[in-house]
Amino acid sequence: MKRYLSQRLLLFFPSLLGVLTLVFFFIHLVPGDPVEVMLGESASASHKEALRRELGLNEPVWMQYLGFLKGLAVGDLGRSLYHQGKVMDLVLARFPATLELTLAAMAVAILCAFSLGILAAWKHRTWVDRCALFFSLLGLAMPNFWLGPLLIIAFSIEFGFLPVSGRGGLSHLILPALTLGTAMAALLTRMIRSSLLDVIHEDYIQSARAKGLSELAVWLKHALRNSLLPVTTILGLQFGSLLAGAVITETIFTWPGIGRLTIQAIQTRDYPLVQGCVLVIAVCYLVVNLFIDILCRVIDPRISYGR
Amino acid sequence: MEGKSLFATGLIILLLLAGAAAFAPLLAPHNPTEQNLEKDLFPPSRAHLFGTDKLGRDILGRVLYGARISLLVGLSTVAISCFLGVVLGSLSGYFGGWTDHLIMRLIDVLLAFPGILLAIAFTAVLGPSLRHVVLALCLIGWTGYARLVRGEILALREREFVHAAEALGGTPARIVCRHMVPNLLQPLLIQATFGMAGAILAEGSLSFLGLGVQPPTPSWGAMLSEGRQFLLVAPHLTAFPGLAIMLTILGLNLVGDGLRDRLEKRGK
Amino acid sequence: MVKKSKQYILRAFVCLWIPLAGCLSQPQTPPGYLVVGLESSPGRLDPRYATDANSVRIGALVFNSLVRADENSRLQPDLAERWEAVDERTYLFHLRNGVTFHNGKPLTAADVKYTYDSVLDPATRSPKRGPLQTVEAVEILGRYLIRFRLTAPHAPFLENATLGIVPVGSPPVRGLEVNLIGSGPFTLEEHVPGEKVVLKSNPVYWEGPPQIAGIVFRVIPDAIVRVLEFKKGTVDFVQNDIEPDMLPWLESHTDAAVKIDQGTTFQYIGTNLDHPVLRLREVRQAIAHAVDREAVIRHLLKGLGTGATGLLSPAHWAYEPRVPQYRFDPEQAKRLLDQAGFPDPDGDGPLPRFTLSYKTTTLDLRRRIAEAFKEHLRRVGIELEVRTYEWGTFYEDIKKGNFHLYSLAWVGVTDPDIYYNLFHSDSFPPNGDNRGRYRNRETDALLERGRRSLVSAERKRIYSQVQHILARDLPYIPLWWTKNVVVMNPTIRGFIPYPDGELISLKKASFSAAKPPV
Repeated sequence: MKRYLSQRLLLFFPSLLGVLTLVFFFIHLVPGDPVEVMLGESASASHKEALRRELGLNEPVWMQYLGFLKGLAVGDLGRSLYHQGKVMDLVLARFPATLELTLAAMAVAILCAFSLGILAAWKHRTWVDRCALFFSLLGLAMPNFWLGPLLIIAFSIEFGFLPVSGRGGLSHLILPALTLGTAMAALLTRMIRSSLLDVIHEDYIQSARAKGLSELAVWLKHALRNSLLPVTTILGLQFGSLLAGAVITETIFTWPGIGRLTIQAIQTRDYPLVQGCVLVIAVCYLVVNLFIDILCRVIDPRISYGR
Repeated sequence: MEGKSLFATGLIILLLLAGAAAFAPLLAPHNPTEQNLEKDLFPPSRAHLFGTDKLGRDILGRVLYGARISLLVGLSTVAISCFLGVVLGSLSGYFGGWTDHLIMRLIDVLLAFPGILLAIAFTAVLGPSLRHVVLALCLIGWTGYARLVRGEILALREREFVHAAEALGGTPARIVCRHMVPNLLQPLLIQATFGMAGAILAEGSLSFLGLGVQPPTPSWGAMLSEGRQFLLVAPHLTAFPGLAIMLTILGLNLVGDGLRDRLEKRGK
Repeated sequence: MVKKSKQYILRAFVCLWIPLAGCLSQPQTPPGYLVVGLESSPGRLDPRYATDANSVRIGALVFNSLVRADENSRLQPDLAERWEAVDERTYLFHLRNGVTFHNGKPLTAADVKYTYDSVLDPATRSPKRGPLQTVEAVEILGRYLIRFRLTAPHAPFLENATLGIVPVGSPPVRGLEVNLIGSGPFTLEEHVPGEKVVLKSNPVYWEGPPQIAGIVFRVIPDAIVRVLEFKKGTVDFVQNDIEPDMLPWLESHTDAAVKIDQGTTFQYIGTNLDHPVLRLREVRQAIAHAVDREAVIRHLLKGLGTGATGLLSPAHWAYEPRVPQYRFDPEQAKRLLDQAGFPDPDGDGPLPRFTLSYKTTTLDLRRRIAEAFKEHLRRVGIELEVRTYEWGTFYEDIKKGNFHLYSLAWVGVTDPDIYYNLFHSDSFPPNGDNRGRYRNRETDALLERGRRSLVSAERKRIYSQVQHILARDLPYIPLWWTKNVVVMNPTIRGFIPYPDGELISLKKASFSAAKPPV
C-alpha cells in the first residue's frame, strides 16, 4: 500500500500536466480566434496583428506552450483574454458555487440511492423493487434539461415555495441538486441493489446469520460493505463529470459554476481561462480519485495493489 | 418463473424497437422530413398520433426513423466502450503496478478533459458523420467500464477461487474470462444501461455542435434537444422521444437481468 | 466503518434538509428595483470596451456620450448641446454646462479628450479604435469646447460621437469592473460577470433623477427559465430574449404587457461569390425566389419579422424602397436556374440540379429556419446540406470564405457606410467583412464617394444607387428585419422601445403601483 501510494503521488503531477498539455494543444488547434473576440468585427487587420503579436499568439504553438509552462511553474496562469481579470481570480470566484452544487447533488444521490437500493434488495421481486427499478430507469432516461424545468414548474410555480433559479440560500440549492443528482441516484440505486443481492446468499453472510446477528445487522454490517466498492468507484468517476459536466444544470438554474465558465471560455477561445478552468477541475478530480483509491482499500482490506 | 417472463418482456421490447427501426419506412404514416409549416406544434390526433413538431413534421415518423440513428449510436458506443473498458480494466486490475498506474492516469486525463472541446475538435478535423460521433463517445465512454472492472478485479483477485485457479496453472486471460468476468456482469450491465441513455442523449447535443447527423435527419437525442424549448407549450415534442429512450433502456435492463440469472444458474 | 459512514449520512441528511424551513424565501431584489432578464451576459461595461449589445445598452444608462441616437436613429444632443462641422475634416462640439460625474466632479472637455485619446492608445486594446482611425487629433479649445480633426473627410465620423465618456485618469479596468464612473442616470453598484449587473438611481442626474430605485440585469440563459421567472414575478422586463412561441403562453398565463415594434436587425443569407455555381447572379436570384420568407416569418417567427428588401430598414434615412424585390415564386426560380445552365436532371424527381452547403450556428431558431430553407430549395431542385456549428468554428469558416451559403444578422446599423465594410473589394477579410468576396467597380466607386461626401442629400442618392445594385446582384439574400418584442410587468410606465433595442428610456420608467416584495 505504501509503495502504491508513493507511486500514485509521484504520478499526480504528470497526469495533471498531461491534461493541461492535451487541452492546450486542442484549444490552440481548433478553429477560432481570440483576437477577433477581443477587438470585434470592426478592427483593422493591422490592429489585430499588433495585438496578436503583443499577446504572443503569432508565435508557433510549441513556443506558446513553453511560455505557458513557465507561467505554470511559478503559479501564474495569466489574464483572461476576454474578461481581462486574472484567470485564478475568475476561476476561484466560481469554485465555491461549483463545489456546493456538486456536493449537494452527491448528497441527494447517495441519500436516495442507499435508501432505494437497500429497500429494493430487501424487498427483492416485490412491488417495492419494481418501483425502484422504474424510478431508476426514469432517472436515467430523463435528461437534465427536461427534469430541471419540470421541477421548477412543480416547486417554484405551482407550489411556489422555492425560487426559480439563481444562487442564494439553501432554498436555491434544492432544485439544481435534485436535477443534477437524479441520474447518479438512478445509477447508484441499481448498483447497490445488485451488489447486495450478489452477496446476500454467500457463505460469510450465512455464517453471520448463524452467529445470531439480527437480519438488519447482517445487511448493514456485512452485505452493504460489499456494495461500497463499486459505489465508491462510481462516485469517484461521477464526481469529475459533475464538476465539469454540470453545464446544463448550471445553465437552467443560472448557477454561477465553473462548467458554464469553461464553456464560455472555450467558445470565446479564451486560452488562459480555459487552462485555468481545466486546471482546477483536474486537480479536484485527481485528488478525489486518489482519496477514493485509498478509501477502497479501507473498505475492502483484501485488496492488494500490484505484485 | 417471473424472471423468465420479465426476460421475455424485455426481449419483446427490444425486438419491437429493432423492428421499428428496420421497418420505419413501412410503419411511418408520414415522411419524417416532410414539412408543413401550417401544421406546427399540433398536439397528438388521429392524423398524427404523436402530434407534429415546429416544422409540422410527423413526430411518430420521426421517432420511428430516429430509432435507426439512436439505437445504432447507442448500441455501438456501448459495445465498443464496454469491450475496451473490460480489456483495459482487467489488465489494470489483474497486473497492477505500472500497467495499472498508466491506464488509470490515462483515464484521469481523459475524464478531466472538457467534452465540448473534444467535440469541437472532432467537428473541425473530421466533419459530420455518425462514425465520428461513436468514436468521440467511445473515447470517453470506455473509462467508466475500465474503472469499474478494475475495482472489482482488485477485490476478486484475492478470493479463494482465483487463487485456486492460479494454483492449477490457469493463464491470466483464462482466469479473468472464466472466473472474474461473470462476476462483473451485473455492474457492467448497469453501467451499459447508463451508457446507452447517455450516448443517445449526447448524440443529440453533438449534432447541434455539427458532429452528429445533420438536420433534418431525425434522432431521438436531437429531437429532445429541438423540442426542449417547447416544453411549456408543446410537451409532446419531447415526451415521445423521451419515452422511446426509456423503453430502450427498460428492455435492455430486463434482458440483461434475465441473461445474468441464466448465466448464474449455469455457473452453479 | 459502516456505522460511522451511516452517521455521516445521517448528519448530511440533517444538514441538507432541516434548515430549509428557515430560509425558504429570501428576497433577492431590493424594493423598487426593476429586474431585467437577459439571455446572454454583458461583457465589459467600460465604454471603451463594450461591444456586445447588452453591455452597450447597460453602458448607455451609466455613461453619457457627446451625441445619442433617438428612437428614430437620428443623432440628438447629449453631452454636446450642439455641434458643427467646421469643414469636412473638423468637428466642433459645445459641451453642456453643469454635468457632473457620479463622483461629483464636473464633466469638461478634458474628460472627453481623455476618453478618446485612451481609445486611440494601442495599449488600451480598445475594440473601438478601428472606427476612430481617421481621427488625427482631439483638441481642447475651452472648458466646454472640443475639436476633432480628421485625417480625411469621413462622413460616418459622427457615429463615433456616441462613445461613453469617462473621467480623466480612469485607467482601463483589468479585472472586476466595480468602480466605473460615468455621468449617466444610474450608477454602477455591482457587476458580477456572467450573473448580474446592478444599477442604482443617480439622485443628482442632470436631467433629473430616474423614478425607479434601480435596475437589476439578471443573466438567465435558459429560455424557459426566463419565462418562468417572469411568471413567478421575479423578473419584470424581458426584451427580445423570448421565444416567439412562448408569447401566446405568456399572454394566457401571466398578466404581461407585451409590446411589439418594428426593429432594425437585418437577417440575411450570405453567398460565396467565388463558388462556381453561386458566382452566377441568376442562381442567387433563383434562391431568393425559392425561399418562402413569408411562411417562415408567419410560422417560425410568429410574425416577429418583416420581409426585408435590404440591409437598411425603412426607418433609416437612406432607405431606398424602389429596389428589385424577389417574391416567393418557385416557378420563376426554376426558370432562372434553367437559364443559368442547371437543368433539373430528372424533373421533379429526387436528383438535384446541384448541392450547396448552408452553415449556421447552434441556436434552435436558426437551425429550424435552415431546415425550412432546405425544404424550400429542394422543391426547386437545389439540395441544401445544413451544417450547424458552434460559434467560434462557424465564424472562423465564414471569415475564411469556407462556405457556400450561411445565415447571420446585422444588428444596430446606423451609418450606411457599413456598405463599404461589407461590399467594397478592399474589404475582403481580414481587412473587412466582405466575406462573400463581392466585387463590382461601380459599387466600389459609389462607396468611396459616399464616405467622403458630407451632404446628406448627395449621400442619400449615392446609397440609394448602392441599394439598387446590391438588390440586383444579391451578394446577400435579404430575409427579414426582426421585430422587437418587450414583455413587461403591466405596472411599468414610461418605457419607450427603440428600434435597435436600446434601453435608454428606462431612465424615465416608473412603477404605477407599488411593487409587491417578491
